Amino acid sequence: MAAAGRVGDGPLLRRILIAVAVTGTLVFLLAPIAVIGALALGSGIGAFLDAIAQPETLHAIGLTVLTAVVVVPINVVFGICAAWAIAKFSFPGKRLLLTLIEIPFSVSPIVAGVMYIFLYGAQGLFGPWLQEAGVQVMFTVWAIFLVSLFVTCPFVARELIPLMQAQGSEEEEAALTLGASGFQTFVRVTLPNIKWALLYGAILCNARVMGEFGAVSVVSGNVRGQTNTLPLQVELLYNSYNTVGAFAAASTLAVLALLTLGAKLLLERHGHVGEALDAAPVPSTRLSLAGDRA
Amino acid sequence: MSITVRSLTKTFGTFTALDGVSLEVEKGELMALLGPSGSGKTTLLRLIAGLEFADAGTILFDGTDTTHLSARERRVGFVFQHYALFRHMTVADNVAFGLSVLPRGRRPDKAAIAARVKELLELVQLGHLAGRYPAQLSGGQRQRVALARALAIEPAVLLLDEPFGALDAQVRKELRRWLRDLHDEIHMTSVFVTHDQEEAMEVADRVVVMNHGRIEQVGTPVEIHDAPASPFVYEFLGHANKLDCRIDGREVAAGGWSAPLARVAPAAADTPAPAGASAAAVAYVRAHELELLPESRAPEAAALAVVRHLTARGGQVRVELSRRPDGAVLEAEVSRAEADALRLTPGTPVAIRPRALRLFAA
Repeated sequence: MAAAGRVGDGPLLRRILIAVAVTGTLVFLLAPIAVIGALALGSGIGAFLDAIAQPETLHAIGLTVLTAVVVVPINVVFGICAAWAIAKFSFPGKRLLLTLIEIPFSVSPIVAGVMYIFLYGAQGLFGPWLQEAGVQVMFTVWAIFLVSLFVTCPFVARELIPLMQAQGSEEEEAALTLGASGFQTFVRVTLPNIKWALLYGAILCNARVMGEFGAVSVVSGNVRGQTNTLPLQVELLYNSYNTVGAFAAASTLAVLALLTLGAKLLLERHGHVGEALDAAPVPSTRLSLAGDRA
Repeated sequence: MSITVRSLTKTFGTFTALDGVSLEVEKGELMALLGPSGSGKTTLLRLIAGLEFADAGTILFDGTDTTHLSARERRVGFVFQHYALFRHMTVADNVAFGLSVLPRGRRPDKAAIAARVKELLELVQLGHLAGRYPAQLSGGQRQRVALARALAIEPAVLLLDEPFGALDAQVRKELRRWLRDLHDEIHMTSVFVTHDQEEAMEVADRVVVMNHGRIEQVGTPVEIHDAPASPFVYEFLGHANKLDCRIDGREVAAGGWSAPLARVAPAAADTPAPAGASAAAVAYVRAHELELLPESRAPEAAALAVVRHLTARGGQVRVELSRRPDGAVLEAEVSRAEADALRLTPGTPVAIRPRALRLFAA
């Protein structure tokens, strides 16, 4: 059958679609990043480095990395637990749990921040109780960790659930009958089967944690040099007309994002190599059994 | 090792998968669990393996209660329908898995494991593929790797869940024979699940026919073939005609044919229906027990039919018949010589008469 007969496959349409995609990427995505770089470096590399070396900016970078270091592992563990429960067990309320995990996708981060204020703030539900215990949650790094966890909660679980559902439990059952303990089964059978999806989820989670603005800005209190993450610092510098500083901080954030993106690309290539290996055609050495390839 | 199953019951929600099943698998025996889907055969196998746990009943291995032991503690070799090979490990690593997860004290050293893996791969004739990944093997090869992997832990019993279910007909036949030979070689107590009666009959020492979570019949393939114990077994094995008939005193009659019970169903003749009070019954007549006669020489008490279709099978001819006048479809099996003598072609009218039948209450 002629390919030209297929809907949406005309040469003209193809060119238009490619042009739209490429132009859109250039105008909406690449241009802003180029501008950030240009403005940050516009007053010379010295000014750029000076701007970065501001103690407050350095602190913001540190806090951002710390947040990622705390939040991503927690999310990885949570994601594995949730995905395992949902993919391999059947229990009442499973669908509800799946929906609940996805709430952060549909809730605006600002709303998330406000919810945490309502819960843990001085006038919040747990406020008096926390005050009595002498624990300050709001406007500290703990609040930043908490909202970041909320916002990125579905990232790892969402990557794992479809994969684990598709893979089923047979390999785990096989490991069990072969005498493996639960831990051995997890480390030697389950984890290798989900590692690419897991890393991919962790990278997405990391990117989101580092870039999160809305929720963090509500709960962090914007204390300079204390609870300002990099995105907040960018805004702060920009609002105080420190253009070079703002763009330098922004470019640092952009670099962090690009590193994440690079890691993701690398992973995808790796993942594809794995898939290619799985699908590799095989010369069958036993002709009599060659007819039954799954 | 022998396996004893006593009054095993298992439900999934409102579905009763097993309903008080008792069974004895003897040491060194190769047993088939045969039945349609939903008959409970796979559930029974998974209960024996410890992959599921029964609601009631007990399972004994060599007289020792294993009902509450986990799959890990039971030392069973389990072969899954879809192989369940570890996809990220080579064939050799798959086979070595069971040995490499042993506690440090009981784990053989690397060289010993490698030697054992080599030996097992030779046993399943896959020594040359040790370095491949499962995705690079054909279905038949994968299933043999799965078998080698299960045998590596020197299991007490070998359990196979539809081991050839995912393979095509040619490979299936070959692997079947191969499994039979392997079993004759290693004599391990083995149970396999299948829905293919030909497979069960060809491979197993004994066959368990299951239906709706219960056992319908246990016996050697010959016993089951010659004397199906229930209407279900007759219908599941196929090639049997079901006749609605009436028993009147010492006579049985169906569709224009009648005969003394003592001649066609001696077992039923001992308990005839009281004379005068006729009772409805169901009779099963196997294809080869349905006699064909030329219409011209039709005896008084024979039914009449027309040949619809003929299929040659080796020395036998399978004859599809349409009974007159009601058009009921019947199946007969006669030798080539008989078919030639009767000059059977589609459309030939014949008289039919069961030589033997088995009666069940309607």
